Amino acid sequence: MRLAKNVKFREEKFGGVLFETRSEKVFTLNPTAAAIVRELGVAHDEREIARRLKDRFDDPSNAIEREVFALIAELREKGLLEDSPRG
Amino acid sequence: MGDGIGVAEPVATRADAKGTEDLAAPLYVAWQITNECNLACLHCIEESGPGKAFRDELDKAGLFGILDQLLALEVPYLSFSGGEPMLHPHFFEMVEHVCAGDAQLKIETNGHYLSTANCERLRRLGVKAVQLSIDGASRETFNRMRVRGEYRTVVEGARNLHAAGVPIEINFSPTLFNIGEIGDAVDLAYELGSYSFYTGRTMYTGNAVKTWRRLAPSEEQYEVFFATLRAKAAEYRGRMRVHFHEMGLLEELRYRLRHPAALLIVLPNGLVKLINALPFVCGDLRKQPLTEIWANFQRAWHDPRVARFVDDLAVDPCKTSALHQWIHL
Repeated sequence: MRLAKNVKFREEKFGGVLFETRSEKVFTLNPTAAAIVRELGVAHDEREIARRLKDRFDDPSNAIEREVFALIAELREKGLLEDSPRG
Repeated sequence: MGDGIGVAEPVATRADAKGTEDLAAPLYVAWQITNECNLACLHCIEESGPGKAFRDELDKAGLFGILDQLLALEVPYLSFSGGEPMLHPHFFEMVEHVCAGDAQLKIETNGHYLSTANCERLRRLGVKAVQLSIDGASRETFNRMRVRGEYRTVVEGARNLHAAGVPIEINFSPTLFNIGEIGDAVDLAYELGSYSFYTGRTMYTGNAVKTWRRLAPSEEQYEVFFATLRAKAAEYRGRMRVHFHEMGLLEELRYRLRHPAALLIVLPNGLVKLINALPFVCGDLRKQPLTEIWANFQRAWHDPRVARFVDDLAVDPCKTSALHQWIHL
């Protein structure tokens, strides 16, 4: 799971931005979403991303997992993610 | 390749939830790497043409110094235009430098240098897309608009791009003599393998100032034009993006005053413009680092002279004829 070929990520003070260069659209990310995007390409799936983030942040209410699944679903729906490695 | 349609930039480079002042650097840099061109198009916004290179265009060290700054600041998206960018002596070296970095690059060309070998080279280097100008669905209208240009060469170039696997975008600038071909032009773009077709109103600036009476479509023609585009957008939905700007220049600029795009326009001599459709310059890359220019860009949009110029355009739309008389902010 990684960002689609035409999607670029840049960290910003407020979190980050995703720039989809095919449609030339910008998506802003809050700090949580930026942390999730940083894990793409490292972690295998949503569960692993959530586990890696839980290791780093306090999460008594288990909010991280919900946020990870929700963001990944949204990125997929917008065509910003791809599952197979790029050739 | 200075097409005078609308405000030549994407509509969505502003961060939706954040203003440009929250961004550490621009998201898009549109770089006119030379003003030299093999064509002398009737509508060229940049007044490019044979022998029209600026006398003070950047040298190789200057060019690559700027590219390194853009890559270091993680600017995700660049475009090279002109003039005709493929005439630039360091064109392919610059393309290679950007693509080997972590940025995506679009080439905006008039399509006269797209040989099989060049298209294969562009694919191998990894350009994100090549944008071609095809203003008409017939040789007669295309060649009339693109003085010294040849329709067949451009169509062959597009086919070479498609065969090489380079993504294609096609631009169309409407005039009173080609506007009726818009439906056929969209069909042609799809047949050539384009994934995107873009058009809008032709701007009264650059060469168009001298040729306006021969160029300017009527409002009635524009009504039919946009109706056709709406139908074509529906027809090609999911297959090719048909994107068009109905807004006039004044509405567009008023919107930009409130929501500047995270876009810098770099001229062949390193000057940086606030936006293509205004004469204001907010920096000089020969003398200032990009970070300083980016900060100045934020301030410059609040300069009262910018809002005043836009207000004056409402009274005198011909003020766009002076876009090349730069005003340094």
